[in-house]
Amino acid sequence: MCVLCGRDFVAQAHWANRHIEDKARVSGSDPLEYQRDRRRDRVHRAALTNEVLRHYGLRVEDWSGSKYLLRDKKGRSEIVQDLGALWPAAEKLASCPLDPLDPALLHTLTEGD
Amino acid sequence: MTNTAVLVNEFGKVGLDHHLLRRADERTVLLEHGCVCCTTREDLVDALLNFLDDEDKGRIPALDRVVVETTGLADPAPILFTVFSHPVLQHHYYVERVISTADALNGHLHLDRNPEATRQVAASDVVVLTKTDVAEDGEIGTLRDRLQRINPSARIIEAPLGEVDPAELLRPAADWNGSVPIPGTLMVEDGDDAHVSRTHSTSVTFDGPVDWAAFGTWLSMLLHARGEDVLRVKGLLDVGEAGPVLLNGVQHVMHPPEHLEEWPDDDRQSRIIFIARGISSEELLASLEAFRPIIGAGPRLLEANAPV
Repeated sequence: MCVLCGRDFVAQAHWANRHIEDKARVSGSDPLEYQRDRRRDRVHRAALTNEVLRHYGLRVEDWSGSKYLLRDKKGRSEIVQDLGALWPAAEKLASCPLDPLDPALLHTLTEGD
Repeated sequence: MTNTAVLVNEFGKVGLDHHLLRRADERTVLLEHGCVCCTTREDLVDALLNFLDDEDKGRIPALDRVVVETTGLADPAPILFTVFSHPVLQHHYYVERVISTADALNGHLHLDRNPEATRQVAASDVVVLTKTDVAEDGEIGTLRDRLQRINPSARIIEAPLGEVDPAELLRPAADWNGSVPIPGTLMVEDGDDAHVSRTHSTSVTFDGPVDWAAFGTWLSMLLHARGEDVLRVKGLLDVGEAGPVLLNGVQHVMHPPEHLEEWPDDDRQSRIIFIARGISSEELLASLEAFRPIIGAGPRLLEANAPV
């Protein structure tokens, strides 16, 4: 972590948010705009993911713009880097496999519609 | 094919391929220990890094491309993963395409007996039919049909007497510009009687632009749960921007999605093909339908526009 800006240096951006990380590398890009885009994307992503995690009694929130904090209702928590690390961690907390094809999950999603 | 380096992988002690590929002389690097994907991933990294180093030092001319020849048993996913995830390689190399060869005489047998063969065809952008000069027309036709059913998005070319035009092989991908027929759903049974698995390919579109973050969430969850069975995901996704997102994934390994500046043709609807083993088209569609409020658009099957 950089002690000046508090940012982690992550060698590998997850494919799903690579486009935002790539924008920052374009020369002449506005670093403030990049930070805003990134923050907005992270908050949005956490909200979407919570729609799914609700079924498993879990919640995720952006943690100071660098990690995600995943919690269950018993107060247990896991810190994860990105979507790639989120699902295994969520599976551990939920103690059941997380599968987007699972009919029970699909039922919860459509019921909440 | 000038300025092309060739990495040859050896399986077994007799370096036959190495001798045959002498023409590539000093740029041919023999990878040790057999299979590229698991045991010699580091060798692949080293070999690719060596090319960068040699290029910098002027020992070899600037390379346009590197061809990695794997063993017939190789699973392409770990090789792609190596290039995408290595902290240096990911910034210097990109994967242009995956090419596999299918023997017109024994192709059916290989597909029946080896699950890797189906995985390789699903992961391919181009499939080259070899030995078409000695196989019968009917046999070539049925194999071609079977390959296309496994992977409707692959371009199939023939190489009679082992001759293939490199320009044709490396022709810039016309993929997804509308010229590739995309059938709605296809199902192929593989394996002998004792071990039958079903490979389904499903072409999906959406009734509007999708939220990229939400689709990424759904897809990452799917790959987490069923990555081994999702042999290929490929297509263009309308995310409500000027251009689509180009998706390309092999099992749990995703190419970094490209956000294109504009659509390649007039057809501006999402079109994605999923090639999966043991996951039916109905299951995929039901899942996407349930995710509709999150993704922002509902899925529907793309109609077949060519008889298969």
